[in-house]
Amino acid sequence: MSTQPHTKTFTPARPIWCAGCGDFAVQGVLEKALRKMGIPPYKLMLLAGIGCSGTIQNNLPCYGYHSLHGRVLPAAIGAKLANPDLTVIAAGGDGDGYAIGAGHLVHTFKSNPSITYIVMNNCNYGLTKGQVSPTSPTGYHDNAESGLDSILLGLSFPSATFLARGFSGNPEQLEKLMEAALDHTQSNKGFAFLEVLSPCVTYYDTHREWRARVYNIDEEEGYDPANRGMAFQRALQLREEGRIPIGRIFKGEHASLESLILNKNELPPAQQKIGHDGHREHYEKFIDSYMG
Amino acid sequence: MSPNNNRPILEDVNIIVAGQGGDGSLTVITMLAELLRMNGLNVYTERDVLSRIRGGHAAATMRAFAGDKYCIGSNITLLVALDEEAVEKNARQLDPKSIVVYDDSGGPVPSVLPKGTKVYSAPFNRIAMRTMRRELYKNSIAFGVVGRLLGLEDETLRETFINHFQRMGQVILEYNLEALSLGFHLADEMDIHEGEGLYKIKKTKPEERLLITGNESVAFGFMVAGGRFFCGYPITPSSEVLETLQKWLPRVGGVARQTEDELAGINMALGAALTGTRTMVATSGPGFSLMQEGVGHSGSGEIPLVIVDCQRSGPSTGMPTKPEQSDLNLMVFGGHGDFPRIVLTPGHPDDCFYLTVDATNLADKYQCPVLIAMDQALSQNIATVEPFNLEEVSAVPGKRLEEKDLENMDSYKRYKFTEDNVSPFAAPGTPGGLSLVTGNEHNEWGLVSTDPVNRVKMMNKRMGKIEFAKKELPRARHFGDSKAEIGFIGIGSVFGVILEAMEDLERDGIKTRYLQPRTIWPVLEDMLEFIETCRRVYVVELNAQAQLAHIIIHQGADPDKLISVLRYDGIPFRPAELVKRVLEEESRIVKSRIIKKGKKEAKLQ
Repeated sequence: MSTQPHTKTFTPARPIWCAGCGDFAVQGVLEKALRKMGIPPYKLMLLAGIGCSGTIQNNLPCYGYHSLHGRVLPAAIGAKLANPDLTVIAAGGDGDGYAIGAGHLVHTFKSNPSITYIVMNNCNYGLTKGQVSPTSPTGYHDNAESGLDSILLGLSFPSATFLARGFSGNPEQLEKLMEAALDHTQSNKGFAFLEVLSPCVTYYDTHREWRARVYNIDEEEGYDPANRGMAFQRALQLREEGRIPIGRIFKGEHASLESLILNKNELPPAQQKIGHDGHREHYEKFIDSYMG
Repeated sequence: MSPNNNRPILEDVNIIVAGQGGDGSLTVITMLAELLRMNGLNVYTERDVLSRIRGGHAAATMRAFAGDKYCIGSNITLLVALDEEAVEKNARQLDPKSIVVYDDSGGPVPSVLPKGTKVYSAPFNRIAMRTMRRELYKNSIAFGVVGRLLGLEDETLRETFINHFQRMGQVILEYNLEALSLGFHLADEMDIHEGEGLYKIKKTKPEERLLITGNESVAFGFMVAGGRFFCGYPITPSSEVLETLQKWLPRVGGVARQTEDELAGINMALGAALTGTRTMVATSGPGFSLMQEGVGHSGSGEIPLVIVDCQRSGPSTGMPTKPEQSDLNLMVFGGHGDFPRIVLTPGHPDDCFYLTVDATNLADKYQCPVLIAMDQALSQNIATVEPFNLEEVSAVPGKRLEEKDLENMDSYKRYKFTEDNVSPFAAPGTPGGLSLVTGNEHNEWGLVSTDPVNRVKMMNKRMGKIEFAKKELPRARHFGDSKAEIGFIGIGSVFGVILEAMEDLERDGIKTRYLQPRTIWPVLEDMLEFIETCRRVYVVELNAQAQLAHIIIHQGADPDKLISVLRYDGIPFRPAELVKRVLEEESRIVKSRIIKKGKKEAKLQ
């Protein structure tokens, strides 16, 4: 904050969420974690999708971007690869991330860029008045299908490095998970995936139900998040028992996308000076290679 | 063939080599092109393939010439047909003066050729199988015969083989040289002896030229203009832009990313562009359709982006390997809502380079999508062009704010209303410049707003940028007789065809002029003035709906002056065909005028 000049910029908006919405807790712990970790607002790029949760970037000082519906992950990856010095956080809901944007989630697990992705999962489409979402359980609004489990999806990727689930009703644990996620990306370890169970008080109030069903795996004796097989097994068992695991479910190791594809001998794309990039020699080589 | 000392000097020759995919037609053409280039000629090559890796009819056509030509010529000098289908598919392009070299291993030459066409039959395939046990070598055997026929010396042909095959290893080179010798032997049997071919080859020092496609030129233009982030998804005929940039961009610190689909492609590009990085995507019709929401977002969020559409035959999956110019409506009018955009139309690979530099600068300056309309032929045909002049181009930064600029400002508004409607921009990471970017309607701060007064001001700000841009958008190029009554308008690969048709028409006593638009949106005054000063204008397009003509009419051109010449069968125009269509139309006009005049006179009596 100390390096910020006193130029007036936008005044962060007041959240548009309903009183009691789980998203308030998410914003609260996010702000706290950013402060605690000393990430200055000018280095923060906060991108959000479309939906109730997709307004979070308006509420805190940052470089904010409101992406197209379902496209927050590609946009966040583009920003990170162009300027790896930024702290890039993508945020959105279960509809944005698991329905219209599901293809991008799959490929983000696969490519492992050092960005944090916060999915505020409320198991319905709140902004459009409560329709069935990919995580809605069987029976919700006559939903015949079973809900999707994003952690199980993430576990199937050899390149997954950080899979966690929090609950807005347990802000203490959520804060730790948020810090761990940011720490993961700040140290360029790859994709930090954090799903937050965030009840929708207006269309599908799951607060009490979830409080009863969540299972804090961080406190389980002998649970090893580095053991993928164990993570799979416990996640499946708990699901069968009607429980929802929360906590740091999996940590893996894999080279991050930016470490694999950026040329370390050159400035990253966004930091090059347009018109004075000193690459004339390469341009001449290109021309020579087409001389025929 | 008997010795003929009056053989003409090779100055303009068109050769088709055709067979099944995998037969090596392209290799023969590539080697001939290399060889003729070494002898001082320029070349232009076109390929006609199916969307599959092996099998199916495949042809490559090359024109070698002295001076400047920008397309395949009208008269095919030589067809090298490696099977029956190759004769059947290409007979329509031949005339009585054409010569056919035919591989009769599979049967006699089909009777589809124009009367008088000379045919040399030789069993390349059978010889390859019998002597070398590999069908693979039939094209190398054919090369020996074709080289002889053209009048090239055996030694020159051998040198070309060494240059071409050496990099593939000694064994491959030796086998191919053996095949070439078999070709010479066969030529002797066919009475085609060394030094007795069709042409004398004037050995001149080759001019310094690039052999390059439009796609490669676009890629290079982007890089030189400071472009450092590219996204693409493989799609014919745009993939070479991705491939070229994957090879070159990392060397200058850039990123060329193959994404999971075109939706990710354009949105990843938008995310990169938000950081102030110059960014481009390239695709073809189906991918461009998928990208539409992102194009509008670039317009609404004022995020600079260059979008290349290498058009192919549509709609839907269409004919992926065939040229068309049928996405013009989508480029000019596509996407929901109103937003500003610029559409540029290069006509030849060198133009692709210079216009992509312009496009990249314009996107940054006006913070809007800039589209480059290519077509399959322009994208993938290889042309001989003058080396790109790096002194002539520069990367001109847009309105950017750095920390020191912000320190002296009371406030920073990402969407500030300004004189020229462009708001200076601070990239994420710049201390003091926090901002919000959104495709929702927003106020100057970037906060969502549905206030009606703000809405109108914001819309007018965005759309108003184009009025300022108009002053510096790439102007059309003019060719031909500036006083001619008959005009031509055409974009993309039609450029070279029109130029050559004009020469032919002039020989028939018809003077014409040509306006090659390089910006089609917004429609610039120069195009409307050109139409006003012509009596009639032929608008030559590769689509069924006369899309370009309608765009021009939409902007005020007199529809009665425009005559559309359309083609949408997947085959590029040849100059002679265009001449024929124009002459037919002209004679129809003259006839109807005589009838009208007659009627008038009859009335008077």
